[in-house]
Amino acid sequence: MKEKELHELHAKLTQELRRGILVLATLSQLKEAKYGYALINNLAERGLDIEQGTLYPLLRRLESQGLLQSEWNVEGSRPRRYYIISPDGSSLLELLSAEWRDLTTVMDGLLDGTSMRGENNESD
Amino acid sequence: MSLIDRYVYEVGRHLPRKNRSDIQAELRSSLIDALEDRAGQEPTEADVAELLKEFGPPKVVAASYYPEGQYLIGPPLYSLFRLVTGIVLAAVLGAQLLALGIGYFVAQEPIAPLEAVVGLLNSIPAALGMLVIVFVILQWFDVRPETEDEPWDPDSLPEISESETVNRGERIFGITMSIILLVVLGFFPESIGFVTSFGSELFTNPVIAEYIGLITFSLLFGIGLDIYLLWQGRWGTFTRIAKIAANLLSIAILFLLVQGHTAWLVEHGSVGFFATLELLPDNITGGWQVIGMEAFRLGFGVALIITSLETVVMIFRLVRANLKSGFSPETLPSSRV
Repeated sequence: MKEKELHELHAKLTQELRRGILVLATLSQLKEAKYGYALINNLAERGLDIEQGTLYPLLRRLESQGLLQSEWNVEGSRPRRYYIISPDGSSLLELLSAEWRDLTTVMDGLLDGTSMRGENNESD
Repeated sequence: MSLIDRYVYEVGRHLPRKNRSDIQAELRSSLIDALEDRAGQEPTEADVAELLKEFGPPKVVAASYYPEGQYLIGPPLYSLFRLVTGIVLAAVLGAQLLALGIGYFVAQEPIAPLEAVVGLLNSIPAALGMLVIVFVILQWFDVRPETEDEPWDPDSLPEISESETVNRGERIFGITMSIILLVVLGFFPESIGFVTSFGSELFTNPVIAEYIGLITFSLLFGIGLDIYLLWQGRWGTFTRIAKIAANLLSIAILFLLVQGHTAWLVEHGSVGFFATLELLPDNITGGWQVIGMEAFRLGFGVALIITSLETVVMIFRLVRANLKSGFSPETLPSSRV
């Protein structure tokens, strides 16, 4: 495989990986109401860069699925739409967090070459 | 801020009316937030342009808000679209063949092969066009067919046997040959014959010319069936019955052709293939015509025998397949609807 192709594939697969965690990352940061750009900064400060063009539609989608609630706030320098996690969203966040922790343990095991279920993988 | 206004307006143009102004307001407020964060209170046009460039083309941004709007016919509708397309194509083909058949057998109209092909070429795109329009409207109103997750039993998987799998190469070869024949019959019907000697005029086979309509009908029927078989990928009860019907039609036509040649040969005083060869020096042209017609008769006779044998095998397989599984409506394609 040429270096350019490898690079493109790497970028594409990384994007796919990150896309899978965006919902969890977003829900986790909306226990307090935030507007879109503040959320982007908040995630960036914690090491997760997310494009604006990706986040705003995602917020809309999560709201239409009933996981977020939103309202316009006109108190600042300009009207901003604030999002906060809904009760359903909180329940889901709890479930997804547990899934995520299990997955990271399994994946760490896979990547480090150890097995969760105590099987000796050298015998494979 | 005029560039931001233009950008937000352009994104809105690609959004559905519902929620449009709300998304536009949020987009505008978010863009200004980002701009202030980067360039302070007095951003230059270049700052705005850079931000918008990063944000992406308006069409792409709008698409991310409304992904289903990117499809003419979206994934939830697509499998239904394919299914209905198959039914409509089969119906159009069937209606054309039926009209040809009625015209030929009932109204005794001669079949014009070229017109039949042109008719099919016209009606198929028209039918498909109408179908696409209907589905685009369904897509526009976001109609989603209900898909029930029926309990599924692996035992219900159909068994695969060699005799049930459609030989694609054979079908494609069949379609190609039939189309070539159709073109010859349609465009150069006078060229089906043979040259009796070097430099002499082509002798058009009068018997084939007589049955040209019936032959065309049979070829079109065969092409339709072959296309359907390619689409299905395996033989079923319906396709076996259709194939047997097609073969019986071919047998009837071949029988008529052989009979026609025999009548012509008797009329022209043929005394048999080898006996004619001996008579050749006395009547060069007439003799060669008789030999040519004998050769045609022989060819059609061989085809008649092969087709008859093939039909017997087909009937045997049909009976065996239905004895094995029991004749059930599941084997008919209409149950796929």
